[in-house]
Amino acid sequence: MAHITAGITSSHVPAIGAAIDLGKTDEDYWKPAFAGFDWTKEWIMKPENKPDVVILVYNDHASAFDMNLIPTFAIGCADEFQPADEGWGPRPVPVVKNHADLAWHIAQSCILDEFDMTIINKMDVDHGLTVPLSLMFGEPEAWPCKIIPLAVNVVTYPPPTGNRCYNLGRAIRDAVESFPEDLKVQVWGTGGMSHQLQGTRAGLINAEWDQKFLDDLSADPERLRTMPHIEYLREAGSEGIELVMWLIMRGALGDKVKELHRHYHVAASNTALGHIVLEPQD
Amino acid sequence: MKQDIHEYLAELEDIPGTRVYTTKRARKGYWVNQFAMSLMTKENRDRWRADEKAYLDEWPMTEEQKQALLDRDYDKLLDLGGNIYFLAKVFSTDRKSYLQAVSTMTGMSEEDYRNMMLSGGRSPEGLRSKSKGY
Ligand SMILES: [Fe+2]
Repeated sequence: MAHITAGITSSHVPAIGAAIDLGKTDEDYWKPAFAGFDWTKEWIMKPENKPDVVILVYNDHASAFDMNLIPTFAIGCADEFQPADEGWGPRPVPVVKNHADLAWHIAQSCILDEFDMTIINKMDVDHGLTVPLSLMFGEPEAWPCKIIPLAVNVVTYPPPTGNRCYNLGRAIRDAVESFPEDLKVQVWGTGGMSHQLQGTRAGLINAEWDQKFLDDLSADPERLRTMPHIEYLREAGSEGIELVMWLIMRGALGDKVKELHRHYHVAASNTALGHIVLEPQD
Repeated sequence: MKQDIHEYLAELEDIPGTRVYTTKRARKGYWVNQFAMSLMTKENRDRWRADEKAYLDEWPMTEEQKQALLDRDYDKLLDLGGNIYFLAKVFSTDRKSYLQAVSTMTGMSEEDYRNMMLSGGRSPEGLRSKSKGY
């Protein structure tokens, strides 16, 4: 049977992707941002930890989805996905190969579980998905595992509630555990932490609030799942709302988790960079 | 528990210096954002660079929206229904980063904004709520 072995979260700042692609990771500005991923890079490639599949929860930043179509939860079911051209040309990163059998299985299982997933086949994947892959896996010729993209609308309001995200995570866990192939599956939540990309309040960072959010992923997930959108916006900036996506990861790990690693750094471009590695404790 | 939609939307308008991308804004800015999306292909970027005004005239936008795009007035574009992730296609085509584009909305110079971010960013103190002033 497939099972969920770990949850990882990470910010997905586009400038991080640019820093990697342009070979700037050793510059003073970027060094401390990347240093916090060294632990994870080593941990994730150990045979006992290496995932066969990553369910990668992210948001599309007006790349695959324009204003014509705004799915709340969209699961990528095609065999592969190309990196998107976001205006600079596509990032020079490997094609994303899906585990389409598992993706379709999750889609069917979640729909029966009353989560009406949108199924998408033709989709380019933007920095929201490719930057976390680069952070965890570096610059390989091919990504070392299969990746199931799960795109969440956090752009046009209202995005899904934290509770809905958490419960979707639980449904994904049930789906994974009913898949007959023996697979190690990780769920990643991406985006955040505090940042605001607009207006006179741009540049907002709330380190105290962010750290409490990181604490409560293991200490008090109940507080996080019931947190209203307005709190994210007031405390973590208008784009801090991306953090609801982390709750899909958290819901997929079950009641108790153990924190294995944490990294927090201000600032990467406009954003507080947060990263955590969690292990389910059954 | 379902939140009342009217209270929900009213709260979103209570944050200083922030225009949350509600459906009201999304409808107003529909063509601004769809135009911006079109810059995701090199062919369209080349056409836009060759004659910005002519390219804009192909889209059913207001003159005010077109002018704000020509001026790269991102703050105004947010008022006119633009969304930052869509507008990113415009500043990326200009070879500008998010940090560069975002700094233009703050009334700070790019350098001052960059330095603020390096020293921990902007505090939320006093910027959480217009009505409650905290
Ligand atoms: Fe994002």
